Amino acid sequence: MEVITMLTYDQPGVMQRVMAEFTRKKVNVDTIVVGPCEMPDRSRIVISLRDRETALGVIEHLRGLQEVIEADMVDHRRHEGYAIMLSKGGVCRITGSVEEVESVIKKSQPDKYIEVVNAI
Amino acid sequence: MNGSRAVVELLEGQKVEVLFGIPGGVLLPLYDELVDTKMRHILPRHEQCAAHMADGYARVSKRPGVCIATSGPGATNLVTGVATAFMDSSPLIALTGQVATGVLGNDAFQEADSFSLMMPITKHNFRVTDSKTLPEVMKRAFLIATTGRYGPVHIDLPIDILQEEISDEAMKKPVRVPKPKRNLSGLLDAIKLLEGAERPTILVGGGVSWSRAGPEIAQLAELLTAPIVTTLMAKGAIPEDHPLVLGVCGMHGKQVANYALNNCDVLLAIGTRFSDRVTGKLSEFGTKTKIVHVDIDSSEIGKNVKGRVGLVGDAWTVVNALIAGLQKRKKRATWKDRIIELRRECTCDYNLRSDPIKPQKVIHELSDILPGDAIVTTEVGQNQMWASHFFRCNGKRMFITSGGLGTMGFGFPAALGAKIARPESVVTDIAGDGSLQMVSQEFSTAVENDIPVMICLLNNGWLGMVKQWQKHFYGSRYLATNLGKSPDFVKLAEAYGAEAIRIEKHSEVAEAIKRGTKSDVPILLDFVVDPEEDVLPMTPPGKSSDEWIKGRCRWKGGGK
Repeated sequence: MEVITMLTYDQPGVMQRVMAEFTRKKVNVDTIVVGPCEMPDRSRIVISLRDRETALGVIEHLRGLQEVIEADMVDHRRHEGYAIMLSKGGVCRITGSVEEVESVIKKSQPDKYIEVVNAI
Repeated sequence: MNGSRAVVELLEGQKVEVLFGIPGGVLLPLYDELVDTKMRHILPRHEQCAAHMADGYARVSKRPGVCIATSGPGATNLVTGVATAFMDSSPLIALTGQVATGVLGNDAFQEADSFSLMMPITKHNFRVTDSKTLPEVMKRAFLIATTGRYGPVHIDLPIDILQEEISDEAMKKPVRVPKPKRNLSGLLDAIKLLEGAERPTILVGGGVSWSRAGPEIAQLAELLTAPIVTTLMAKGAIPEDHPLVLGVCGMHGKQVANYALNNCDVLLAIGTRFSDRVTGKLSEFGTKTKIVHVDIDSSEIGKNVKGRVGLVGDAWTVVNALIAGLQKRKKRATWKDRIIELRRECTCDYNLRSDPIKPQKVIHELSDILPGDAIVTTEVGQNQMWASHFFRCNGKRMFITSGGLGTMGFGFPAALGAKIARPESVVTDIAGDGSLQMVSQEFSTAVENDIPVMICLLNNGWLGMVKQWQKHFYGSRYLATNLGKSPDFVKLAEAYGAEAIRIEKHSEVAEAIKRGTKSDVPILLDFVVDPEEDVLPMTPPGKSSDEWIKGRCRWKGGGK
């Protein structure tokens, strides 16, 4: 798993522009996290994908976007997983390393789940 | 002041002299303010041509060209022109009207999501939904278009923003954009490679035209004793009468240029993106060559050709750094001598004296007759490749063409824009009959605004380049390439009020061109050329350059 983190302006159209770079390079991203951050009027976008070569190919294009202030690859040790599962027992939240979260999901075989990778 | 007044003042503040635009419902407030400005307004007959004119203006003046279109169909018509500018990194400011913010997204009359449409074909684009940000957006647009790698910027202007009050405070707000990052950490490696090179070659791309680094590159070439090969976009960036300039390389390039490109041991590529039309089969390109790649756009380094020494910076700065670092290099004359000898072998005489007229003959006469500072634009297809291969872009001549997007119909409006940017130069469009029919309404614009350009129409009655491919690669199974029912172009031009001459004999070509260059009204030279003449030599698509189709070319392929 490879993770790209970006600091961007918080305004309409930013996601479309960022995702368009992945579309153009025919890259399917695995997970997306977007949210407010410590600075006003700025957001962070964290995107995970499978292939390192691909990620490196896209990142220079992301850096070229006017609305992207920074774009960097995140070291594997800083990747964090989280997931929400729904099974007979109800909703269950899991956080931990990507591997830990994946193994819990595998073990509990929930009816539904969503898993995301985040990093700071 | 209201938003429209603000737009006009901000354009004037950027020293814009001319606007190419077509008004519409939502642009009425802006056009009402434009009545009282000194900026010249040109009314093209189609929005696509507004963008091409602004693009042609930008390529000559090296300053942003401004085009304006209304919402909906105005914006969608503009798209081709903006995409053309984007592919060739031309600084364009495209303004579009938009329906009022209150109904935006409700499918109002003449509403299109221009913001989304323009996003992938602009360097950046804005949709102004808060009038307070209007001045900042306008200023940023000009800065973005001309900082780092040039490119078009689009601004979508809803009608209510044009009517709202803009404060002086907002107008005065200063704006900055980040400078492009330079990365010259590979400079020593690059110098080492070039110092050790036995057969260095310099490949020059469109970036060099924009940064005007031609003289420095010529100096570097002399220092390295290296031949210079250009891409289509860089034709003329270094005068083609310089003894080290071999001309345009690639699919329809000079064979000697392709030879130098494929037989060098170190390639210094400057301001080029290694287009497939240059490299041919990418997997076989540069396998025996060490490449130093210089580009202002870091995302270009390693995009098409991987694993090379990359230098990120503008051509002018990097080339000067290389010149400084290479002063001690021992000159190796053997490669240079060999190339100069090969270049001599690659100068066939294309003064073809036969009828029907051969297109090469027309280009030959243009090379001879056009003044030293003439500007040549082209359409796209055979006309473009004949011009690229055979026209001698010597001295201060300029060559303007749609290289990246390959937009038919670019040349005529671009010529009008170029003539406005530099009225003292002879401007000629080398056209094909297919391309010209896509934009022939612009004779109206040329005549109305007294823009005396010359159109050299290579009229062969076919969509010739596609026909040529059907002939060579699809067993001559022609479909939809014969333009059987074309208009009488002389009558067509005359109907618009332009002058026009039909030329059917090779002996009349030179005389017609001489008359054309002296014309003070728009003039069409309708050269009826041989429909069986192909653009050759060519390297077939996806093939490497030793599998070329020769045609009339007698070059021996470097003695092989």
